[in-house]
Amino acid sequence: MNQAVAAERNPGERSVRLKTSLFSRHENLTPLSIFLGFILIIVALQLYTQGLHKYPTFISPVNLLNIMQQVAVPGIVAVGMTFVMLSGGIDLSVGMLASLVSIIVASGISTWGLSVTVSIALGIGAAVFLETLMGFIISRTKVEPFIITLGGMITFQGMALLLSNSREVILNGELNFCKINLIEGAKDPVTTLNLVIPPYVLLFFFLILVGGLVLRFTKFGRRIYAVGTNPHAAYLAGINVKNTRLSVYVIMGLLVGIGATMLLSRINTGIVTLGQGLEIDTIAMVVIGGTALRGGKGSMLGTLIGIFFLGSIGNAMNMLRLPSEVQFVAKGLVVIIAVSAGDVSSKVTGFLARRKDKAAARRSIAI
Amino acid sequence: MGQILQLRNISKTFPGVKALQGISLDLQEGEVHCLCGENGAGKSTLIKILSGAYQPDEGGEILIDGQRVTLTPRLAISLGIQTIYQEHIVFDSLSIVENIFAGAEILRAGILNRREMSRRTEEVLQYLKSDLDHGRKMWELTSGEQKTVEIAKGLVFKHRVIILDEPTASFSSAEIDNLLEIIQTVKQSGIGFIYISHHLDEVFRVGDRVTVLRDGHKVNEHAREDLVKSRLIKDMIGRDPSTFYQREKVEIGEPVFEARNVCGKGVKNVSFVLRRGELLGISGMTGSGRSELMNLLFGAQPLDFGEIRIQGRTVRHRSPKDAIRHKLCFLTEDRQTSGLFLPQTIAQNVATANLVNVKKLVVRPSGDVRTGDAYVKRLNIRTPDSRTRVVELSGGNQQKVVLAKWFNTNGEIFIFDEPTHGIDVGSKQEIYQVMVDLLRQGKAVIMVSSDLPEVISMSDRVLVMKGGAKVAELSGAEITEENILTHSIGDSAI
Repeated sequence: MNQAVAAERNPGERSVRLKTSLFSRHENLTPLSIFLGFILIIVALQLYTQGLHKYPTFISPVNLLNIMQQVAVPGIVAVGMTFVMLSGGIDLSVGMLASLVSIIVASGISTWGLSVTVSIALGIGAAVFLETLMGFIISRTKVEPFIITLGGMITFQGMALLLSNSREVILNGELNFCKINLIEGAKDPVTTLNLVIPPYVLLFFFLILVGGLVLRFTKFGRRIYAVGTNPHAAYLAGINVKNTRLSVYVIMGLLVGIGATMLLSRINTGIVTLGQGLEIDTIAMVVIGGTALRGGKGSMLGTLIGIFFLGSIGNAMNMLRLPSEVQFVAKGLVVIIAVSAGDVSSKVTGFLARRKDKAAARRSIAI
Repeated sequence: MGQILQLRNISKTFPGVKALQGISLDLQEGEVHCLCGENGAGKSTLIKILSGAYQPDEGGEILIDGQRVTLTPRLAISLGIQTIYQEHIVFDSLSIVENIFAGAEILRAGILNRREMSRRTEEVLQYLKSDLDHGRKMWELTSGEQKTVEIAKGLVFKHRVIILDEPTASFSSAEIDNLLEIIQTVKQSGIGFIYISHHLDEVFRVGDRVTVLRDGHKVNEHAREDLVKSRLIKDMIGRDPSTFYQREKVEIGEPVFEARNVCGKGVKNVSFVLRRGELLGISGMTGSGRSELMNLLFGAQPLDFGEIRIQGRTVRHRSPKDAIRHKLCFLTEDRQTSGLFLPQTIAQNVATANLVNVKKLVVRPSGDVRTGDAYVKRLNIRTPDSRTRVVELSGGNQQKVVLAKWFNTNGEIFIFDEPTHGIDVGSKQEIYQVMVDLLRQGKAVIMVSSDLPEVISMSDRVLVMKGGAKVAELSGAEITEENILTHSIGDSAI
């Protein structure tokens, strides 16, 4: 045993640990550094080509607030997606569920003659109910969540089309209270354009904060990580694995309900295409933030980085006036690069460490 | 008999660690060459070099039939070196034939020639005197039968060297006998074996030569004729083995746990009483219902009939959660798949099982780290602090994290399922010491083990199981190897 101790306390091994520890211990560092690098490039590019002109640039306050408005709704859903994916699940149905909710709320207000509050409650309630149903099946059977939520996605699309008779349901601004400007009158000092912060942006920050605190500081959060890492060990450690897996879908339902209502307030129209691609965007955000598809690894802070990363790429490419076809390609590549970068960087670190050791060994032979 | 394989002056350096230093060894045709050494002695690295997965440092030479070679995994296999790893790498849902020929299928006109493949497999299985049907799926086989299939693969492809890494780790003693017999048969055909095992008994039974490694050095090489067990142990651990299996006795107190007529999946009508300060050994062959009984007691399987009493009160365990609340701890056999959260830190692992007892809504990560650090110190876990991920620890240290996880729940009754499975001699002793310490604190221990010397030296009482039922309860001088074996094999007992 004593020999084993000696081998493990070998000073060389320790130095390798230190070298890799910065990025491996702080798992958010990789996406964050890519994100910051990306921002730097954009800003440099802009300063170089345009200088400080009197129209909105990427880093101007008006544009930054604009980005926040754009990412708020997918961001709210991404909070739920983080919970689901940390527990080892996935949810492909959120996009179509959001469409369904928007149609329920819009129909409630404009066709069924319900009050705004009741309509919203009905929409959110429906989302929670449907997600709970899926969560129940997922947690009580061994069927992959991928399959169940894929089925859910198709079903919700059908339900949305049925409810709306395949048409759009138009609102007359009944939900405008969600997008009033909280800082009315504030101007951008450079461009003198109006600055806008609607309530749903604050709601987004509030929800992501609460989500992050729940994951980090509650028993429930611990259980999600444990279940996502090793469900069998979690069960034997006294965790109710089934209910933990069920609860993340319930949370997802609540957040999709809220997100869809906010989206409806922005667009003023309940339509089946409203949530299209939302699942792809939110999964991309969560994954860029370092959450593993197999569960157990990731954090809300990572998701926050992922949300702004993906959001600002779209925004920046708009500013650079790139056509949308190019934007898709670029966005896709960014997802791939951001996710594989962590692995590549650890490989590079390992390679450098080995090369250094090799050189040291050669020198010791030479002496 | 010719020499198949020779290693000369093999060293292997990893960043910061010299895993192997100047190892030389050779293998003759039809020889079984055993490698012994504690965990971390360099056995696995040596195997990986032989299978081509690692390249040795400059200056080392590998010769096959006198020819110098640079091995890659592919070349190693084509030169007839087959490695059978501890963890089975099999295609579970494929049949025996399909597994043997995976990646090297025999084709006729571009189509699989099933008949030819089955014929060759059947031929080899008969030679091995195995009654396995070649069409059976791998997942239906026991781990012993799976090893047989892998050895059969070596014969089918006429391999020259078969490397077995801890082949008997999850075997019953009948399966061990069977495997050793197969090795004796196969070596007649000129195949050389490199056999790695912690079990010295096996080494004594099959080894023609034994090489002992320690810290990457070759300590000694013994020929079969002059093998002495105590000498071998001394070589391995470098300390006196006479203290090895001696346990301090503890005063036994009042009953704390009682099972009455317990029935459930794989368990028939088992009753026993466990007292404070007592270690109850559970012995029996694999498949005798020992692990099933533990799952039942811990609430991981439903109890069909019977009663469990803890400190005189009848309890019902609907899930492990209830069991943990009733101060039960269950250290499972396979720590990696059922005991640990590998990618998480020591602190997170230690905190997990005790969540059951935590009443507060808010739990602080910094508090977990403090608790974790305390256990790192107390159990001598070799790591800077409890923020280290468990996956980075060695096997013995991982086992200590499992211990810490359960100590943290303030348990009273500890169930150890194969606590020293796949652990080196030195760490074994640390685990034994932990158990004795628990007993001294007035806690009670149930230990399931396939290792007879371990059961005999550690237990105050031994429960022998067979076919899901309790067939004997031995205490004091009755606890002998002979008694346990007669009952668990069972001709005379019933």
